[in-house]
Amino acid sequence: MSHYETIRLSHGSGGRLTAELVRDVFLAAFASEPLAALTDAAILESPGGRLAFTTDAHSVTPWRFPGGDIGRLAVAGTVNDLAVMGARPRYLSAAFLLEEGFRLDDLAEVAGSMRRTADEAGVAIVAGDTKVVERGKGDGIYIATAGVGWLPEGRDIGPHRLTAGDVLLVNGTLGDHGMAVMAARQGLDPSGSLRSDVMPLASLVEALLRAAPGTRFLRDLTRGGLAAVANEMVAGRPLGLRVFDARVPLSADVMEIGEMLGIDPLLTANEGKLLAAVPAEEADAALAALRAHPAGRRAAVIGDLLVEPAGLALVETAYGSRRVLEMPVEEQLPRIC
Amino acid sequence: MSDERRREPPGELRGDAYRDPGLVAALAGRVRAAASELGRPLKLMHICGTHEHALGRYALRDLLPPELSLLAGPGCPVCVCDSALIDAAVRLALRPGVVVASFGDMLAVPGSLPLRGEGKGDVRMSLESARAQGGEVRAVTSVFEAGRLAAETPESEVVFFSVGFETTVVATAALLRRDPPPNLSILEANYYTPPATAMLPSLPGFDVDGLLLPGHATAVTGTGVYDGLPALGISCAVAGFEPADILAAVSAVLRQLLEGRPRIDNAYPRVVSRQGNPRALAELAEVFEATPRRWRGIADIDASGFDLRPAYRQRSARARFPDAFTAEGASAREHPAGCRCAEVTLGQVTPDACALFGGRCTPDNPYGPCMVSHEGTCRAWQQYGMARGRIAVRTA
Repeated sequence: MSHYETIRLSHGSGGRLTAELVRDVFLAAFASEPLAALTDAAILESPGGRLAFTTDAHSVTPWRFPGGDIGRLAVAGTVNDLAVMGARPRYLSAAFLLEEGFRLDDLAEVAGSMRRTADEAGVAIVAGDTKVVERGKGDGIYIATAGVGWLPEGRDIGPHRLTAGDVLLVNGTLGDHGMAVMAARQGLDPSGSLRSDVMPLASLVEALLRAAPGTRFLRDLTRGGLAAVANEMVAGRPLGLRVFDARVPLSADVMEIGEMLGIDPLLTANEGKLLAAVPAEEADAALAALRAHPAGRRAAVIGDLLVEPAGLALVETAYGSRRVLEMPVEEQLPRIC
Repeated sequence: MSDERRREPPGELRGDAYRDPGLVAALAGRVRAAASELGRPLKLMHICGTHEHALGRYALRDLLPPELSLLAGPGCPVCVCDSALIDAAVRLALRPGVVVASFGDMLAVPGSLPLRGEGKGDVRMSLESARAQGGEVRAVTSVFEAGRLAAETPESEVVFFSVGFETTVVATAALLRRDPPPNLSILEANYYTPPATAMLPSLPGFDVDGLLLPGHATAVTGTGVYDGLPALGISCAVAGFEPADILAAVSAVLRQLLEGRPRIDNAYPRVVSRQGNPRALAELAEVFEATPRRWRGIADIDASGFDLRPAYRQRSARARFPDAFTAEGASAREHPAGCRCAEVTLGQVTPDACALFGGRCTPDNPYGPCMVSHEGTCRAWQQYGMARGRIAVRTA
């Protein structure tokens, strides 16, 4: 059991404490085969074929941030959890927890943003619920979503297929969402051009899978960023993972703000980026397909899977030196010196 | 990055040029050649948490020859912060009507007051545990944010726990000169590194050949404050924070060793000067004066801290709330049982020499201050896996 007796902010950071919480509390209570896989969406057998099913809760301060808002985030996040399982997202539900005093025109803005994002992703929002909590007992607006998608016959994407020699790709610059939100909170954005990357990735995934049908693994790089996903990929497996530092696409603004605050973009949340592991012989086709898609213009090959060191995610620097890419443990804090 | 971050003047290399692989390889080659010419084991030390992070992030120790070790010295203000000051902050946070504001790093560092109810060994109260018990604690990124908090909450007393080295104390001085809200006070916990650095050579077993001086702190003070070190036979170079900056400083120290002429080389001239930042120093001297300060687990060091001058003493949390500054309930042991933070801070042992490192003491369950703070050596070693040394890989 965890070292802690109460919920800390770090339990929601997507790092080690989140993993402990899921294992020790939720898996212990809910044990079921689809859940035990701990994938982005559960794969369920149904009479008409396989379904992918997922749920997600969203809280973000400020709820409107450069490049998006909580509504777009809720829809894109749910769609992406289905898409990275190889599923075609179809239907979403949305439950709203509203704080007394939240403005109706703001709520309409959020709903409109959800509708536009759903149209972009080709999904329909077909069920919902609303609860209002007393003033002071919420943070304006929280949204909880669920999503269902169809899993085409023969698709098998997941960590069990990862193989040493696989090539790792991302579909663009990392850290944009987390850094934009953090900068908005701190009132920092020197050039005013930081934007969240929040975006549904369903059509990007379809394009990738057409070009690289052997794709073994996909994951959206949300909380905990690349570092969290890299560590989950190799934990307990006879595989190592290497990221070439200099090949990771980063925007100049993210680099600058990250250095100013002491925050590592590799550990920072994205809302429109995924990591793909593909067999080496399909890497060129995968890269070309990603770059041909509007959500993948700055896609890059960033690393590979190793035989050794097993169970470890590494960063290899431009100088050939190597360090551990550690699982994030907490919310990142600005450094003081 | 801290206050003195600035743009390079036109015509100079841009920041990322100091990461250029060709430049870094050339400097690493120069370091290897000098070390081989010296032909003996060499020990260098830096005294800045941000240097240790750069060493970890770029795995720069991989680029150094095996006979050259680069140790981390006292470069973490949070790690050396007197546990009695943390205890005072905890007491203030638990007091109705008082809000304690400090840097995020400071909030998780335990002081010496026992945390009751946990029953898991030597666990102590931090500001975070004070918050969990209902205390008012805020993480801020600067003293100015604490000033804004005070303006927004005139009904509360806001105490800014001003921890840090000579870099952050300058910001505190600047705010106090600008007449912040009357309900803002300062818990004086700023440390001054030169006296602690000057003490290092007198420690038993000290066998360091050269020091890398901290670029940010030296930007404020100027290099002159370290003039005593070469006189003691210690070669010094001021180092910036990019890979090329650090290797250039290492190379400068090795050159001094080869020439047998210890001095202070400025290997960070785009930011650091001999005389420092005169305006910052003048503001600092107007508001603060030197005072002896306890370095946690290490020593009381003369003139190694900053207290408010009499004209500003009404801003001192110690003057405003004297009864919070007692030794009542404190543990006689500054660090929790078994923690080797003091030796790690002095560079006497590396983190992996501590039996608790990576097991009982991890970033998500830290036991000693050096694992809590992002500036701490143990934290950096854990984050970047530095205890593994050079990591070999095998591809498919």
